[in-house]
Amino acid sequence: MVDGNNLSRRTILKGAGIAGTASVTALAGCTGGGGSTLEVLHGWTGGDGADAADALFSAFEEEHSDLEYDENPIGGGGNENLDQTVANRLQGGNPPSSFAGWPGANLEQYEDAVGDIESEVWDEADLKDAHVEEAVELCQHNGGFSAVPLGSHRLNDLFYNVSVLESAGVDPSSIDSADALIDALDAVESETDATPFAFSLAPWCILQTWAQTMLGEHGYEAYMNFIEGNGDESAVRDTFEKLEQILGYINADAASVDFTEVNQDIMSGDAAFIHQGNWAAGAYIADDKDLTYGEDWDAIQYPGTEDYYTLHIDSFIYPSDNPTPDDTATWLQFVGSEEAQVAFNQYKGSIPTLTDVSTDEFNPYLTDTIDDFDNASEKPPTLAHGLAVDTSTQADLEDVLNNNFADPYDVDGATSGFMDNV
Amino acid sequence: MTDGGTTEERSTLRRWLDSDIVQSSPFWLPPFLLMGFFVYAAIGWNLLLSLTEYSGFGDPDYSNLGLHNYRAMLDDPGMWAATRNTFVLLVGFTVVCLIVGLLLALLLDREIRFSRSFRTIYLLPFALSFIVTAQFWRWMYNVNNGIVNQFIGLFGIGPYNWLGSPKLVLGSVIFALVWQFSGYTMIIYLAALRSIPNDQYEAARVDGASTVRMYWRVIVPQLRPAMVSATVTLVLFALKAFDFLYATFDGYRPRRGADILATKMVRESFGRSEWAYGSSIALMLFVLSLGVIAPYLYNQYKRGNL
Repeated sequence: MVDGNNLSRRTILKGAGIAGTASVTALAGCTGGGGSTLEVLHGWTGGDGADAADALFSAFEEEHSDLEYDENPIGGGGNENLDQTVANRLQGGNPPSSFAGWPGANLEQYEDAVGDIESEVWDEADLKDAHVEEAVELCQHNGGFSAVPLGSHRLNDLFYNVSVLESAGVDPSSIDSADALIDALDAVESETDATPFAFSLAPWCILQTWAQTMLGEHGYEAYMNFIEGNGDESAVRDTFEKLEQILGYINADAASVDFTEVNQDIMSGDAAFIHQGNWAAGAYIADDKDLTYGEDWDAIQYPGTEDYYTLHIDSFIYPSDNPTPDDTATWLQFVGSEEAQVAFNQYKGSIPTLTDVSTDEFNPYLTDTIDDFDNASEKPPTLAHGLAVDTSTQADLEDVLNNNFADPYDVDGATSGFMDNV
Repeated sequence: MTDGGTTEERSTLRRWLDSDIVQSSPFWLPPFLLMGFFVYAAIGWNLLLSLTEYSGFGDPDYSNLGLHNYRAMLDDPGMWAATRNTFVLLVGFTVVCLIVGLLLALLLDREIRFSRSFRTIYLLPFALSFIVTAQFWRWMYNVNNGIVNQFIGLFGIGPYNWLGSPKLVLGSVIFALVWQFSGYTMIIYLAALRSIPNDQYEAARVDGASTVRMYWRVIVPQLRPAMVSATVTLVLFALKAFDFLYATFDGYRPRRGADILATKMVRESFGRSEWAYGSSIALMLFVLSLGVIAPYLYNQYKRGNL
């Protein structure tokens, strides 16, 4: 206190000001430095997805115990957050080593931000012969290969609750067309209290059911013509007309629920049918449910698509300008291997994209799915999950559905919107 | 160092270093630079981006600037719908909030029983995050078992698809937002009411004014400044209703009839990587906000409050 006056208030304030400036400068200079550890981004943060990712990375550790890696799961918004993070990092010149995403037309948006791994991964690990030709084709981009498939969900399953159909007197094996489906839905409505067709009016759900209806009613050729931009207007219109009839049997709250909520109704016997990608089956198989495949729940193919396997693929993508090119190649070779695909898919409720794979680890439902996958006459790419059309076309189609075909249903508006946007 | 010339220079330097502006710079310069860079430069860059054709990955091309994005807006029906919805939300939400807030404030000003508890209850929703209230209203508005339909069902009305029907959805969103923000408006009014001297009430009473008349003619006119500041805050909140819609509709694609400029901006930019078009929508939003805040600032400036 003796020399207290030597430190004038002005000096203290000055000191504080300088300290403030210094800390702000330090803050501004704080731009994160990059390590060179293998960094993998994915969106599987909950439920069966998280279990599957755990299995995948444990299998990787077992095989490559010497390799350090950084697993970075980003959940939420149905991959919206993951895609956004990936976009920002690719844009900002700070790409991860690899990230999970859809192959196919979805890769187009990345242009040169994703690189070629044909010789380092596909040739080196002999993946071209090991995977089905559709998967090989869909991972190509810019004249090379930019992705490696991890697994596939089936898009043309129509799941049902066995006892609801029994009490409605409906024989599922006889449903082979949209009209037959409509008759069955009608029978459920008049004979039981259950919702005939459990549905969420989220645009991507409408889009995937529209695609199966198109495939079922007008066949593989017409569907492929449509996604290639040569769609037949009358086929598109007819698909919307059939879909409008089918959507006449959905739950009243379809506009404000997501599919996991209505899927509960299938399990509890409050709904008869649901069309979803076969990730929906994960909930039926989960341990705490006492449901048996074939007894409590079962699946037929979406009417008219009996010979097809509508293909969805999850893959890992290779950014160009890669921070860890060698380690990333090791990772991607592993992703395409049987060890990785069996470890991941048995938990994820999807199946490997390999041509020849042991089904020992898979449950009866997935074993049947693998069997269908091997014997399908065609494997058309899914329209609602990046394989068939590029991101902005897919967003346009979803906008058209949200504006014209999400109750109330406007067949004319939706038809012209679909014809204009593809 | 010792000759006369440098001494002269040094004293100029000394003077400059001693000047107020330099002495005070540690205090104003950092925030000035930070704000200038992160806010105003970002707005300027956004304007520049909106004149390019930047989309997808890669770098924007600044060599060919033009107003094509703004022209494209005129032909985009989604843009018209989003602008209209933004205005309906803005006006509807603000007006209803001001009225409900005023009524609540007047009620509590009457020193009714438990007025403190009521004040807390009315203000509580404002303390909750949009994410929480959106989830909450999703349940309340559920068609089959939501409490709103259960309640109106008692009178034999409904059920209505509050968040599903394109005709009802915007109204439902506005109602939920009013519920959340009228408590805030009430507090602003209440503070203004408390600052009015008691003798004005007494004078009105002595002159024989009824309660309604007293409030309408004497008290409410004095609440104008409170109303103006509440309006500005509410309008800015309405422009930012993005979080509420994002949480209600589980993504940035609201049901038809509830799309606003903010959701469309994020969808165009991050959903489709149409960065330039997204920037031009952002600029529209910026101009709208400026249109609200500028008259207020000017008014404050003229009154000498700035």
